[in-house]
Amino acid sequence: MPRAPRRILTIVLVLALAWALQPARAADVKLSLWRLKTYIPPADKILDTTVQDCAKQIGAEVQIQTYTFDDMWTKYTAAIESKTLPDVAELDSVGPARLANLGRLSDVSDLVGTVTKELGELAPNAEGAVKFGGKYYAVPHYVIPLILFYRKDILEKVSAQPPDTWEAINEISVKIKKAGIQDFPQGFPWNRTGDGYDPAMSLLWSYGAAWVDKSGKYIGIPKDKAVQAIKVVTPAFLTDKTSAFDYLSWSGSGNNEAFMAGKIAFTPNGPSILFQEDSTKHPLRKDTAIKMMPRGPAGRNLALTFVMNWAVPVDGKQQKEARALVACIMSKDKFTAYMTGSFQQAVPLFKNLINSDYWNNADGKVITETVKLGRPVGWPGPTTPAAAEVISSNVLTDMMTRVIVDKVTPEKAVEEADKRIKEIYDRLPVK
Amino acid sequence: MAGAPPQNQIILAQPAAAAPRARGLAWHRVNRVQERLLGYALIAPVALLIVLLIAYPFFNAIWLSLTEKMVGYPARFVGFKNYADLWESARFRIVAWNSVVYTVGSIGIKVVIGLAMAAALQKAVRGNQLLRGFLLLPWVIPTVVIALTWRWLLDLYRGLINVGLHDLGIIGSGIHWLGNPDLAMLSVIMANVWRGFPFFGVSFLAAMQTVPQDLYDAASVDGASAWQQFYRISLPSIKGVVAIVTLLSTIWTLNDFNIVYIMTRGGPGAATHIFATYSYELGIQSQRWGMAMAASMYSLPVIALLIIFVVRYLHRDEAAS
Repeated sequence: MPRAPRRILTIVLVLALAWALQPARAADVKLSLWRLKTYIPPADKILDTTVQDCAKQIGAEVQIQTYTFDDMWTKYTAAIESKTLPDVAELDSVGPARLANLGRLSDVSDLVGTVTKELGELAPNAEGAVKFGGKYYAVPHYVIPLILFYRKDILEKVSAQPPDTWEAINEISVKIKKAGIQDFPQGFPWNRTGDGYDPAMSLLWSYGAAWVDKSGKYIGIPKDKAVQAIKVVTPAFLTDKTSAFDYLSWSGSGNNEAFMAGKIAFTPNGPSILFQEDSTKHPLRKDTAIKMMPRGPAGRNLALTFVMNWAVPVDGKQQKEARALVACIMSKDKFTAYMTGSFQQAVPLFKNLINSDYWNNADGKVITETVKLGRPVGWPGPTTPAAAEVISSNVLTDMMTRVIVDKVTPEKAVEEADKRIKEIYDRLPVK
Repeated sequence: MAGAPPQNQIILAQPAAAAPRARGLAWHRVNRVQERLLGYALIAPVALLIVLLIAYPFFNAIWLSLTEKMVGYPARFVGFKNYADLWESARFRIVAWNSVVYTVGSIGIKVVIGLAMAAALQKAVRGNQLLRGFLLLPWVIPTVVIALTWRWLLDLYRGLINVGLHDLGIIGSGIHWLGNPDLAMLSVIMANVWRGFPFFGVSFLAAMQTVPQDLYDAASVDGASAWQQFYRISLPSIKGVVAIVTLLSTIWTLNDFNIVYIMTRGGPGAATHIFATYSYELGIQSQRWGMAMAASMYSLPVIALLIIFVVRYLHRDEAAS
């Protein structure tokens, strides 16, 4: 080859090599983040702004994708199988257990340590969903507790006090119906949404009908207690006729719509109804009140089903940047801004913030007390993949609807549910 | 022999006459091979797409149905265990029965409405074209929109149907369209029929318009009534199209997901759960892919039998005519 072209070629090759070997510029770091699309758009906007601010701070570009409660697991299932989980994943209460068991989540114990320095200790009842084998596999972001919404004006009309027990809800509903105020005042859906399975867990646990021991191993549903619990709530559909069968087919927002339309007097829901009423200056806002979910003979053991957690899947190639992003999102200033912009929906699980003045009002106290008394999925044990599947397979709500719709006896329904739960725990043994 | 050409000339003459014919045959053979290769090359992209997008997922689904495959875990071969477990499950038997009721109910009503629509639109009257276009609307609207609209229409408190019936004094309180198990099934069938009847109507109408008018004229002269003409002339003439349209719609309806999922999520209880929604529940919510595939495969033998039956029926009909 002649000399001149050889020289030019050498220079070009050297330059190309130098370009390829240079360290990645900050703008080259691209992260993907998946988060829940909540019922509180202003809070979502604050979170997105926080994420982008944090991205600038760490010198990365973040692409945010959202999912709803309904399609969350459709999205994550595809990603798990194709090994394309995002760099930062917001997971629900069973997500960390499922993915950690598959070895798909990074150990973020150090990250939890960093966060607790600013935000205070993590609530002990939040650990069961994110800590396995002594290590943390997710950082709790917030919890949406389910609380009991009721119409205080209607209760006044029938001279009833706000209910503290499941039986009291039944009695008041009967009074409301007899008074001709509402046809079907009791809006407990027992359907295949969180509004169904969250109260179902709270109900069974409040009657002492948990099916695992403290290690999370299956011990069987205590049949007498479960039957007793079912016999308390199913008459609303079958004999008292204070609940409509249509409630069983509601989607996630069906009870919200019915409550705000003035058709029901009681319903379990997250605080989003308060936001919807406040933001639209709804005429029922002054008559809407909230209370902790009812207690039973075994006390008040409330399910914390909607715990959202930040996790760093091992699929991501930018582990350091992903962790830095989570640490920034969970820094005190940024998380406080999110919490106070969430219309009391995003309840923190860290001591300093859950005790902050923001919650020091009538509604805030009910909400935070609910969280403090809450139990993780899989209680009295930790959240395990088997516990996750009991919830996602709708075993508990199916147990209710077998009695209500198919008219089987509560005993038979409990037996069937117990069989299904046992099969799940046999297939996904607790280690 | 006198006058005969010398031997060598005879010998030389033969190759000269055969050469053009041999070249022609060879060219023809090469041309046919080239055409065949061109044909394969042209269908190769489509064949590849079919293999990748249809054949591979289909056979992979069959394989998964024979395994205990959970999301994130490797598949473990278990033979027909999933099928056996499903059949023993009372819930799955309910799902199977619901699927039959949903499909047979929807198809039966769609056939009747489709035939009525075609018979009515067959006559050339003013505004016919506009009416045909209007009646096609349900077919072009996205299924999700249709399902959401029907869910609103049938809402216990605020649905147009209950409010309308109540205001007319026909009912005292709302009907539990989506809460009563029987009415819930009827409701999803109604939505499915509303969505699908235009396909039947338009297909039957197109087939009816190929029937020679002479047959109807002759029948009229013989004193046949409109019903007799429809029953004796139209229906036998279009039975091939009826068979194919019914078959296609049966396959689509057996695999339907959107309408039931959006309207009832398979509820109340499992009253409207069908193969597709149950398969979704197993595969996505419970993360049990093997079981989910087995649930969806249960309809395969039925569909295969239907296809065989219809194809044989059409061939027999063709041979007879």
